[in-house]
Amino acid sequence: MAATLCTKIIPKQGWLPLTQIVRHGSKAVTRHKRPMHFLKQKLMAVTEYIPPKPAAAPGAYPSETIQVKEESGLALLKKKQLKEVFQTNKMIVVAQNSASSVEDMLLLKHRLYKHNISVKFFPNEVVRSFLSDSIYYNLTPLFIGPTVLLVSKEPKVKELLKTVRASQQITLLGGCVENSILSTQGLLNYSKLPSLTVVQGELVSGLTMLTSQTSALLQRHPTHLSALLTQYIKQQSGETEAASKSAESS
Amino acid sequence: MAASRSTVVLKAVKKIAVQFCPFESNIRSTREFLAMVSSERVRATNLNCEVTAVTKHDKSEPVVDVMYVDGERLVMKGAKLTSQEMFSAFQSRCIAKDPQAKVAGKK
Repeated sequence: MAATLCTKIIPKQGWLPLTQIVRHGSKAVTRHKRPMHFLKQKLMAVTEYIPPKPAAAPGAYPSETIQVKEESGLALLKKKQLKEVFQTNKMIVVAQNSASSVEDMLLLKHRLYKHNISVKFFPNEVVRSFLSDSIYYNLTPLFIGPTVLLVSKEPKVKELLKTVRASQQITLLGGCVENSILSTQGLLNYSKLPSLTVVQGELVSGLTMLTSQTSALLQRHPTHLSALLTQYIKQQSGETEAASKSAESS
Repeated sequence: MAASRSTVVLKAVKKIAVQFCPFESNIRSTREFLAMVSSERVRATNLNCEVTAVTKHDKSEPVVDVMYVDGERLVMKGAKLTSQEMFSAFQSRCIAKDPQAKVAGKK
């Protein structure tokens, strides 16, 4: 219980009062933190305020449901064009044109047009989304940065390589010739191949070589054939003797 | 784009050779560097400097090899670098080599 000092008790000015009440209870509101009763301390600890967690910013986490973005009309149109390009053209080569000027581009287009090779530009996003569905998905890593498609109906790889070698900016990355994906090495090798008729002729001649030899032998005079056969028998017997001798000695 | 100027002065550069495997996934920065370096403005600073790009198919790492006129070589392995880093490193070297000629010219 608090009892305040009464001003009336002071008799004269400057004198201290006769009685000073010592027993006064402590104040509730102090400038320092008053030591709490232990039970009160426990209660306060248990009932501390837990502020609500702020929700994550709207773009912080990816959404749980997969949102399928509809492609714009232009993208669909470009995809259709790409599909046509892949269907009609046997040879599609991907190249990087690191910042070629308009004149260089015109020159290149002109030179390639002489061999019926056309230059196509498509946005990388559209190409990648198209390729992921088609059978040419292995071409996807090629389409990064400034890319150009060089397409033609006939697989004229040699002429393409010659023309491209002349321009500095174009770097060949790879291509798809007659539905098979090739790297630059592959394109080089393809260009060095002889034409199909030549290869077919070589194959046929290689297969029929032995049979043609036998038929030529048979068509000759039979004495020639009998002489050859006796010689062959002699050789065989000579080989077997040599083999048996070597077996005995070892 | 680049830090101080948008183009690099290639006066001190003899040859830039870029080599990469197009079918790998770590070549984006190298290709971007190639595009940046072979742009018209950069090439116009030194018409004698050759910029060559070689494509391989052996899963090798992308490498940019710069040969300077005084014989020094700068080799940058672009597998774990960004194109900005490569370009700024290249630019700082070029500026370090080049202003000597510029300052001498100004004086």
